[in-house]
Amino acid sequence: MSEQRAFVVRRPVVSLLMLLVLALAALLWHNRLALNAFPHIISAYTAKEYCSCRYVMGNPAEYCRGYVKQYVPASLVDEPETKSVSAEGMGESAMAVWRGPRQGCVLEPDAP
Amino acid sequence: MRDRLLRFCLACSIGISAASTFAADTWPGTDWASAPVAATPAIKALEDYAFPPRDDNSRKGIRSDALLVIRDGQIIYEHYAAPTTAQTPHLTWSISKSIMATVLGVAFGEKRFELLDSVAKFYPTMASHADIRFEDLMHWASGLDWQEDYEYAPLNSSVVAMLYTRGHDDMARFTAGHGVFAKPGTVFRYSSGDSNLLAASLKKMVGEQAYGDYPWTALFEPLGIRSAVWERDASGTFVGSSYAYMTARDLARIGLLMQRTGQWQGRQLVPKSWIYFNLTPFAGREIKSAEEIPGGQWWLNKSQDGSRGPWPSAPADTFAALGHWGQALYVIPSAGLVIVRYGDDRDASFAHDRLLQLALAAFPGEARP
Repeated sequence: MSEQRAFVVRRPVVSLLMLLVLALAALLWHNRLALNAFPHIISAYTAKEYCSCRYVMGNPAEYCRGYVKQYVPASLVDEPETKSVSAEGMGESAMAVWRGPRQGCVLEPDAP
Repeated sequence: MRDRLLRFCLACSIGISAASTFAADTWPGTDWASAPVAATPAIKALEDYAFPPRDDNSRKGIRSDALLVIRDGQIIYEHYAAPTTAQTPHLTWSISKSIMATVLGVAFGEKRFELLDSVAKFYPTMASHADIRFEDLMHWASGLDWQEDYEYAPLNSSVVAMLYTRGHDDMARFTAGHGVFAKPGTVFRYSSGDSNLLAASLKKMVGEQAYGDYPWTALFEPLGIRSAVWERDASGTFVGSSYAYMTARDLARIGLLMQRTGQWQGRQLVPKSWIYFNLTPFAGREIKSAEEIPGGQWWLNKSQDGSRGPWPSAPADTFAALGHWGQALYVIPSAGLVIVRYGDDRDASFAHDRLLQLALAAFPGEARP
């Protein structure tokens, strides 16, 4: 008789946990594109907006570092000779380059 | 004889410029004419509001970078906060959308497209959304399932993905890849994607060759704008939603063009019908008129149904181009005013209505028809 009782009744806690894991997996799957791209935001934002702050708007380097500062830490390397800016944050990196007086800065295409 | 002729011509030109000053149709030349008004308590109140002591570490509170007021085509007030100066081509963020709309206005005047044309006609990537017309994009009513939230919902924000991650190589293509949530032209949903579809469509309207310089040849050069920078995505499309830069004085030229319904120094640069379209409230669903009233890529203070607009302290004919972090270009035709406010607001302290109220008190003009 007891062997025939439903699994849910025999193991209520395990069942609930399994359900939660399933729901979480579904949520992750549903948001997989956004989640995959998410860690890249910080480095891309930092590189692009610093480049524009410095080389389009012509603001001082120190001011631009404060201008792009976020809660998530990021490091930044500015190469004035080539007007290229690379940034790292959340384990990802990005690079923005100044293209010309009318074009300003652009994020380099992501590495495949 | 030559000398006398020269003197005569000189007298004529002085006469002409004097006449135009009094006829209230002064135009900026290489630079703006300046007629600063004397300081008053009302101007001090405006300045105290816009330029409180500034903390570049905490970045809290109202942080104006520039405030420029033009009345009847002349500078009457101008103030900057370091490091921004009169020469800084400041990021305009979403004011770019209204600038792109004005560039498109020139193309419209050149009969390059119609408002009821399918977007796919000029941007084939939109073939799967063939029922979306230019008018719908202009109203931010494409019906594409776009999420504009910036900082509060970064995970699902379409605009963050467009600018920095999945979309940045080709923003219009990224937008076209979105699903549909409503029939085009029926529901207002603010979307930077819609604006970038406009920017991408311009490519085929004017030709690949002319595209890269078109904002300059069509609009900036005729207006005497020399500081403009317009960044593009990796596919070469202007980031029409977000990345135009210019000085406050140059942005005010676009404001004056709008105030004078598309006319610039005797030339109809943008058709009047286009400006009327820009300034007509969109009659779609989901518009909270006390918060924002969309026209054609511009923001209005008069609603479709006569209810209260977002800026109760300002006249109903007030309209604006607005951008992230407090960027604003306000035009108040009935007061003869064009106001540029650049900022770096990282919180919600700044209120458009309060600024307009203080500016109207500081720079009262005689009533105009």
